[in-house]
Amino acid sequence: MSVTARLGGVALFVATVAATAALIHFTMVLLVPVVATHDAYARLADLGSPGTTAALPRAGPDERRFPWDDPALAAAFCRFDLSAGPVRVKAPVGRAGFASLSFHTRRGAVFYALTDRAATHGRMEMVIATPAQLRQLVAHDDEDDPSQDLRVVSPTVQGFVIMRAFSELPSLYAAAADEVKAMTCATEPPPS
Amino acid sequence: MLVKALAAGAIGLALGVAASGSILADPPFGAVTIGAWRVAAKAGALDADPYTRAALARSGEIPLALGEGLKLVARADSAGRPLDRHCLYRVGTHTPAARYWTLSLTDANGYAVENAAGRYGFRSSGILRDGDGGFSIYVSALAHAGNWLPIGHVQTFALALRLYDTPLAASAGGIEKSSVPTIEREGCA
Repeated sequence: MSVTARLGGVALFVATVAATAALIHFTMVLLVPVVATHDAYARLADLGSPGTTAALPRAGPDERRFPWDDPALAAAFCRFDLSAGPVRVKAPVGRAGFASLSFHTRRGAVFYALTDRAATHGRMEMVIATPAQLRQLVAHDDEDDPSQDLRVVSPTVQGFVIMRAFSELPSLYAAAADEVKAMTCATEPPPS
Repeated sequence: MLVKALAAGAIGLALGVAASGSILADPPFGAVTIGAWRVAAKAGALDADPYTRAALARSGEIPLALGEGLKLVARADSAGRPLDRHCLYRVGTHTPAARYWTLSLTDANGYAVENAAGRYGFRSSGILRDGDGGFSIYVSALAHAGNWLPIGHVQTFALALRLYDTPLAASAGGIEKSSVPTIEREGCA
């Protein structure tokens, strides 16, 4: 075998390795979010059923479910499912300290968020709807007395809402935890 | 010939899997470096790149929304040396504008680390400050006077700075390098 033929063989081998590696890598990156069985939604599913508010475990050395959670923040969540209608989220706020709501798709991405600065009458309130449900809500609005609801369209039928509350001192964590647990997520009655 | 092709395929497969694993542990795109800190500005955004999305699905992290705050992570000191449990670090003296901030210590994956003091971080609302309103947090395995953040039982660790309710966006140039805390290595045992 000539030197050129042998070099050609080596080059082909290296190229095959590189092409396979690249193909596997890109396929994995694109597939991971679809096939992930342990993403945030799945981890939350172990802690609470849709429509009910449950506390997120406080970050600490014995808690290995939600990385990068802040021990200074109390948090609670509810999963939502819009297939039975829009979902109204109510979260009373009334402590010193920061509080917020974030709305996540089934895959965990944030599609909306608001903080206690946007609270009115002592609470943060939001209606989550699919695009079709939003059109229906708007169609039922009274033109002379339009609804004051804040409405947000969810890109996915399922998802979850997180309420976070900051405790200014460790001794105030319990009060922050009580506040986030008071969030409610309820399916709206059909418009009459 | 066939043997060679199969061998190439197998090596390629192994390389592809290995590369994906390590790259997704710290996704390369969409992150901005500010001093010693890195901010994954697009983490949790609907239009995040595929690497950031895959990393989120794998880690199970519930990201902060941009409107809620920013998370900055440091795995090295201000001189670029990886954080070492045998060293003493001084973190300070100020942070970018935010309603509240916290600085906490985690393992490489973002989980709090067991330590005898039971202290995992500091809050802006509960920290000792100097006369100018600045602060110094001492990060070390051994107890230190002042704001001591224990390293605890872990080999590699990271520092997480969170800015809650901040007007800043982490997009290019949104945060001045001079505004983030420095991480100075004061000495090593």
